Amino acid sequence: MQLNIAAIILGVFNVALALVLAPLFEGILRKITARIQSRQGPPLLQPYFDLLKLLGKEDIESGHSPRMQRFAALLSLATVLTVAVQVPMGGQAPLGGQSDVILLIYLLTLSGISTLLAALAAGSTYSLVGMSREMMAMMTLEPLLAVAIVIGAVHTSTLRLDQVLNGSVYASGLFPVAGLIMLGIILFALQAFIGRMPFDTAEAETEIMEGPVMEYSGPKLALFKYARMVKLFVFSALFIALFVPWGHIGFYPLDVIIFLAKVTVLVLLVTLVAATHARYRIDQAIRYYASLFGLALVALVFAVSGF
Amino acid sequence: MLKNLCKKMFPRSLWVYHANSGGCNGCDIEVLNVLTPYYDAERFGIKLVGSPRHADVMLCQGPASRATAKALKRAYEAMPAPKLVFAIGSCACGGGIWYDTYNVIGPVEKVIPVNFYIPGCPPRPEAILYGVAVALGLVDKKVSPVQFKQLELPIPKYHPEDLLKKDEMVVYQKIDHV
Amino acid sequence: MSLLSKIKEVIICLNAGRVTLPYPFAAKPVPERFRGRPIFHPEKCIGCAGCANNCPAREILVFDPCQEVRIIKYIGRRCTYCGRCADVCPEGAITMSGEFENATGDIHDIQQNLEIFMGTCQRCGRCYSGQGPLEGLMMKGYRSDNLDKDAWVYSSQAYLDKEPVVKDIDLELD
Repeated sequence: MQLNIAAIILGVFNVALALVLAPLFEGILRKITARIQSRQGPPLLQPYFDLLKLLGKEDIESGHSPRMQRFAALLSLATVLTVAVQVPMGGQAPLGGQSDVILLIYLLTLSGISTLLAALAAGSTYSLVGMSREMMAMMTLEPLLAVAIVIGAVHTSTLRLDQVLNGSVYASGLFPVAGLIMLGIILFALQAFIGRMPFDTAEAETEIMEGPVMEYSGPKLALFKYARMVKLFVFSALFIALFVPWGHIGFYPLDVIIFLAKVTVLVLLVTLVAATHARYRIDQAIRYYASLFGLALVALVFAVSGF
Repeated sequence: MLKNLCKKMFPRSLWVYHANSGGCNGCDIEVLNVLTPYYDAERFGIKLVGSPRHADVMLCQGPASRATAKALKRAYEAMPAPKLVFAIGSCACGGGIWYDTYNVIGPVEKVIPVNFYIPGCPPRPEAILYGVAVALGLVDKKVSPVQFKQLELPIPKYHPEDLLKKDEMVVYQKIDHV
Repeated sequence: MSLLSKIKEVIICLNAGRVTLPYPFAAKPVPERFRGRPIFHPEKCIGCAGCANNCPAREILVFDPCQEVRIIKYIGRRCTYCGRCADVCPEGAITMSGEFENATGDIHDIQQNLEIFMGTCQRCGRCYSGQGPLEGLMMKGYRSDNLDKDAWVYSSQAYLDKEPVVKDIDLELD
């Protein structure tokens, strides 16, 4: 198993891109939400100010087990950054041959589990309610992404990351029915993966009840907020790598710029949907995901039979 | 250096927790008005959060009453330092017109220390925004204490130079100087 | 379909532009008859303490340190800007101004203290209430036969208007 220097540098560059640009995309989201609501919103760099301010606050440790709380906070940011290392951002996947899609699916599930751990470690009533909702949502959502990746794997008959994450859902010899169905399904479920407005029940439930992150303050809260912003960026990158991978020029900086433009378009789409919808109740949301999963199984049948 | 940066970022992004300890909800509605697009508070970076552990500023409204004083104190202690308390409305600033009822302990500052007062009944949303802007240092404050002392006494008794004697009747002249 | 209505909603909101008022940086005029902070005009105050009597929040306090001086203190903390003090003041010394920007870090900034001189009787030295309207008329010399009943005497010519209102009656005055 050899890791050459280029792969390491590319991986570090991915992480740096995710860390630096994720709050900017969140800022764009907040500003456009504000403009849709006919008001002047916060400045574009507002999430950076928020994170810096949170880092400067006192850390009150309350809850059942403070050690588990620290672990959960670090785990949430660590898992999304690990996913960021593996997803191609305007080029090939950094750990191309050494990683495979099963690891990707597990890491995404782990980032959901870090929220559950956070809520359980805090142990207050509202946190537990938020945790049960997040658990229900996760159980019905992760299969959707798994089916999309598996369709890609079936078409290219391999589990290697750089081949699957390269628009492989369209790679069947005949008309890509499965690919188009999966494109529609994941577009409809993108809000749920990122955790924004119509399907907001889990993390940002600060508006309804305080949600799983209720007992966290100061630096740990900064880690959770940062993880949420990076999740927006990383899921957009994953979506682009799976479904919209065209436009490669070969010159790496230009590829990165094209990639960022695609992410901006996706963030605009997410913002529009988030700003105009109300939050779904948890049972409505689960019914929605279950119907999408039924469609995904139909797409899987198509893929296996060659389409 | 990171510490200084974090301190400088504190006034740019204030997260607000709203605590109503027994008021009539008039000031609640005015605070809600401040968050609407017309008097947008989010352009200063102010966000409403639902848990005191996430918040920097506690907006107190309503006097501290016997039933809610303990809850108010616990919410204040749950906020991480550095924290600010704004008392909104005349009930929170001084007890309001309910200052001597059987249920009310007094103004909010009998229970928690207050940093900033925004009086009014209820204060207009502009007044609340103005108060927040003064706290952030964006505008200057406009009130200052007024004291008036009468230096010259307007009674003729104290100005004997105005006495006229007119056959044993002492007549005072109306003074036109004060 | 609900998607179309969402798009219409977005277009309507974007058409409205940006409705945010530039408030703390640009002044905003208040409606007339708006009741802001009460302002006390000390030159008109006669020290009757009607405002203190009428305030529902007991915010206006009256102290008499000595016979001649009365201190009226308006502590602004509990004031609900109801306007009852301005209503009851006989001299119109309190006006409800339009100032609502009263936020401050130190609540003692809002107070207004007035020290008013109260006239005392020249014979016994105690305070007495000022003249009523009828006595005011008598003071001005319209009834010249009552001059000896009054407690203090003005040189009444000074009180009359320079030009007589009624030109054919000749008033004989002191």
